[in-house]
Amino acid sequence: MSFLLDCPNCGPRDVNEFSCAGEVTVRPKESPTLRELTGYIYFRRNVAGVQREWWYHRQGCEIWFQAERDTRTNEVLRTEIFDPAEQEARTK
Amino acid sequence: MRLPARPGERLDRSREVAFSFYGKPVKAFEGDTFGSALYASGQRIFSRSFKYHRPRGLLCCSGSCANCMMTVDGVPNVRVCAEPVREGAIVRPQNVLGSLEHDALVATDKLGGPFTPVGFYYRTMIRPRWAWPLYEKFLRNVAGLGKLDKHAGRANRYDVEHRRAEVLVVGGGRAGRKAARKHAAAGRQVVLVDEGFVDPLEGVDVISPGRALGIWEGGLVPIDAGHVLYRFRAEKIVVATGTIEQPLVFPGNDLVGVMLPDGVRRLIEDWGIKPAEQAVVVTVDEAGREAAAALEEAGVRINGVYDLRRERVREIVARGRGGVLRSVEIDGRKLSCDLLVMSGGRQPAYSLLAQVGARVEYDPERGVFIPTDIPDGIEAVGSVAGEGLDGAVPAASYNGASGKGKCFVCVCEDVTDKDLKRAIGEGFDSIELAKRYTTVTMGPCQGRLCHVPSIRLYARENEKDEATIGTTTARPPWAPVTLGLLAGRPHEPAQRTSIHHRHKELGAKMMWTGTWRRPHSYGEPEGEAKSVHDSVGVIDVSTLGKMIVRGPDAAEFLERLYPNRFGDMKPMRIRYGVLNSDAGRIMDDGTIARLDDETFYVTTTSTGAGAVLEWFEWWNAVWGKDVEIVNVTGALAAVNVAGPRARAVMRSLTGIDLSNEGLSYLDARDAQVAGVPSLILRIGFVGELGYELHFPSPYGEHVWNAILQAGEDFGIRPFGLEPQRILRLEKMHILIGQDTDSESNVLEANMPWIAKLDKDDFVGKWSLEHVQERGLQDLLVGFEMEDGTVPLEGAQVVLEGTRPIGRITSSRWSPELRKAIGMAWVPAEIAEEGKSFLVTVDGGFERATVRLRPFFDPDGERLRS
Amino acid sequence: MSDLAFLSPGRASTEAMWRSPLERALQGAPPEISDLSLTGKVEVRGKLPKSVKGGDLVRITPNRGLVLCDFTKTVALLEKLSEDLFAIDVSASLAGLSVRGEAVMRRITDLDLDALPAAGAVSHVQAIVTRDGDSFALWFAQEYSDYLAEVVIDAHEGLRR
Repeated sequence: MSFLLDCPNCGPRDVNEFSCAGEVTVRPKESPTLRELTGYIYFRRNVAGVQREWWYHRQGCEIWFQAERDTRTNEVLRTEIFDPAEQEARTK
Repeated sequence: MRLPARPGERLDRSREVAFSFYGKPVKAFEGDTFGSALYASGQRIFSRSFKYHRPRGLLCCSGSCANCMMTVDGVPNVRVCAEPVREGAIVRPQNVLGSLEHDALVATDKLGGPFTPVGFYYRTMIRPRWAWPLYEKFLRNVAGLGKLDKHAGRANRYDVEHRRAEVLVVGGGRAGRKAARKHAAAGRQVVLVDEGFVDPLEGVDVISPGRALGIWEGGLVPIDAGHVLYRFRAEKIVVATGTIEQPLVFPGNDLVGVMLPDGVRRLIEDWGIKPAEQAVVVTVDEAGREAAAALEEAGVRINGVYDLRRERVREIVARGRGGVLRSVEIDGRKLSCDLLVMSGGRQPAYSLLAQVGARVEYDPERGVFIPTDIPDGIEAVGSVAGEGLDGAVPAASYNGASGKGKCFVCVCEDVTDKDLKRAIGEGFDSIELAKRYTTVTMGPCQGRLCHVPSIRLYARENEKDEATIGTTTARPPWAPVTLGLLAGRPHEPAQRTSIHHRHKELGAKMMWTGTWRRPHSYGEPEGEAKSVHDSVGVIDVSTLGKMIVRGPDAAEFLERLYPNRFGDMKPMRIRYGVLNSDAGRIMDDGTIARLDDETFYVTTTSTGAGAVLEWFEWWNAVWGKDVEIVNVTGALAAVNVAGPRARAVMRSLTGIDLSNEGLSYLDARDAQVAGVPSLILRIGFVGELGYELHFPSPYGEHVWNAILQAGEDFGIRPFGLEPQRILRLEKMHILIGQDTDSESNVLEANMPWIAKLDKDDFVGKWSLEHVQERGLQDLLVGFEMEDGTVPLEGAQVVLEGTRPIGRITSSRWSPELRKAIGMAWVPAEIAEEGKSFLVTVDGGFERATVRLRPFFDPDGERLRS
Repeated sequence: MSDLAFLSPGRASTEAMWRSPLERALQGAPPEISDLSLTGKVEVRGKLPKSVKGGDLVRITPNRGLVLCDFTKTVALLEKLSEDLFAIDVSASLAGLSVRGEAVMRRITDLDLDALPAAGAVSHVQAIVTRDGDSFALWFAQEYSDYLAEVVIDAHEGLRR
């Protein structure tokens, strides 16, 4: 794994400077049923295609951001700082 | 025999170089390779083949095949045809029993044939099983590629260097140089690399020799330059790797004296050597004809030129004596020769392009595979892209002559046409399967000289066309690379506290905790633990993760993140917190001290610091609260002074009120300690009266020394991790990761009071509610052994002699309590004070009794004194 | 509001002996490699100013920076910066290493040396790297001092050969 990831703050860097926290998920708004809770904790869409995921610039500026990466080719289409309002709008 | 000097040759005949071969000196010129010098001195047999130990000679002269591999200065598998000469080098043949001329192991060729068909090792040498070590020893000695000299290996130094290129051109031939000049003229920063030696180029940074090992994601191209690995990131990559001449397959095609056109050309033009006296040429393209012309000019008698573009040849049989070529029969007509030039066409060296995603298509006109669909950012130029190829498809000459000797498809691995046909017969009818079964293309040449011939053979035997057969997957590295070069320099990232050197001076036995170096003990773990109970001890806990959490929303932030309650904490008070995942599982633990309304000082486990910081930062990004998190792990050293005499020691170090009322258990205080600004936390992981001092790390040694001096009268002893573990176990304090795993939750881990389920929401709340509803299943309890044996950590907890139902997580002998104690996960039914269970010990079982309260000072009186 | 005095090495009495985390590791090091650890460092967050009087501001993100200053003036600068920004004394957090020569840098990091200052990995360790001509300064977690000094001295040695 050696692709370059474009940190929104620092620019393109070796992917090993970062930690990945996986697919972006939506946390239940209020007390979920056991089924909803299990879904939230364990199940992921795990697409073979473009995935929106969390990245942390661990060895650099230490910001958390989101990336859209094609899991088949590791091509990173975009990276952007997380905006809670925008995520809200997107997941509606 | 050397030819007179000619323009364009690589030799500098004014500079002589001498090296030794078989202990005898060999003369060479600067610009020679070991191989060319040996050939010029009359050497014809360069190696013995991998399986059959057949004599092999120069074939390609370009570092592709394995025929010339020898050991040079202790380094095995050096392709001497491409390795420049060095004064005083010691060159030795490898994989022979005897000499190159008389190798006793050639018995496998004469006799072993029927016993060593393709894949024989899947069927033989299996039984009797006890004999396998003998088989292995035997095989390792008769088949192999040189021996490693352990000392020669360590004498080598390998470095990695990080480089960038706007344009990286791989291949310094005509097309590569043209592309490099073009990009340099356009003002770009251009780097050109070539496996061999090429001339410099103005405006271009030339690395030669420099071999591109592969192309990885992100335009990463590592270049092997011998002792330096240049790790290039290139914006644009131009692949100009050219083509590889292919052999023809016919009986005797591996005899010494059978060569590819480029090999012949190099001998004559680069090294001024007359390759032979009499030659025959069989070719499918212009390269063979050009070689014939060069040979003629060098005074070699040409006894026949067969251009398969113009005439059909049914049968070629090369014959020799002692493995060396003497004649060739073309359709029955015998021609004397000591050199047979064969050309099976030129196959584009597409491997780098295939690695990066290009497709490879068979061209039926030219009989080779051409790369297409080159991805963006990569360009293929020159013959690798198919330019200038003019070959015909060679006929199956072996078919006309089968039975007249071994026809080699893969000279590296000694795979014959018979082996491939047999593999097809056994059902391995796809090229990927056949490759793995016969090992064709898996030798040192990695398919350069055998991939296309094997596909051609497959196509004919299976009556399919080459396009349908396809190619096997191209993978890096392009050529064998030493592991040392990939490893680079042997540095291991290690974290050390600012008191590290004092521990070593005090005789500490150091150990790894994650990437930290820590004292295991100072020589006497049980004694060190006992002195903490008897008097006072001091331990360096600087490795703890530490964070400042500050802002108007700091309390709310921690409330939402932890199961604990923090909002009601008074300033300068401390709580023990356990961090949960949203699945309700225990992630980490530590102390949280409230310094003021908006400021908290949070500690974590030593190995969890990085992960906890990431976790905190992520939730902060998601919640967007007004709080800042600052990692101060390295900013502060931390030292814990513990024991009944701890207060007395502290009195001589600081002026604040240390009475039990002035600084109570779980209080925090700012103070100057030994003249250093500190935060004193009165906490008790080890169960005795204790003060944990947090102060700026550059004063680590100063404060440590002051403490040791202040405690001298009380017999203070430094103690390490091992005594700390004994002490905390006596108090039944858990160690995250030791007593808990990724599934443990606070309700079942003996800490239900941590989770304040009446809070609105916190990370992990829902999961813990479900656990509570479901009911607790396995619980973490303490235990003591009836008879004093200490079970191993990880030992099983067993129902009366039957199945395992739990496990021991921690166990130690307590010198203070004089018993064997520990912690274990057991089913809820047994998790009651006084109940007993069996533990596996040494193949048998011993009895243990459940204890739910700390073994030592269960009411915590010592702690709060 | 707690002044977090326990973070500031500058608040120690003169009898207390300050020791650089790089002191032992750099013994016998070539002149091209030297210790910068005795420097004041203040981490600031918020709307960063264009410059800081009495210090050098290194921008990490638009809202986070590192101010480098004279060690003896750290506490005063910290108090001044705290008026408008979130400021924490991290002088003891980071060790500072000065390295002369691009060639050595290329042996230990793949950061773009023409795009400094930057925060990134140097030999697997997080660092803030600044540049002044042919001289580079590495600011990194002090607990890696022995390790990183060993790496840099060895890289320098490798180029000499």
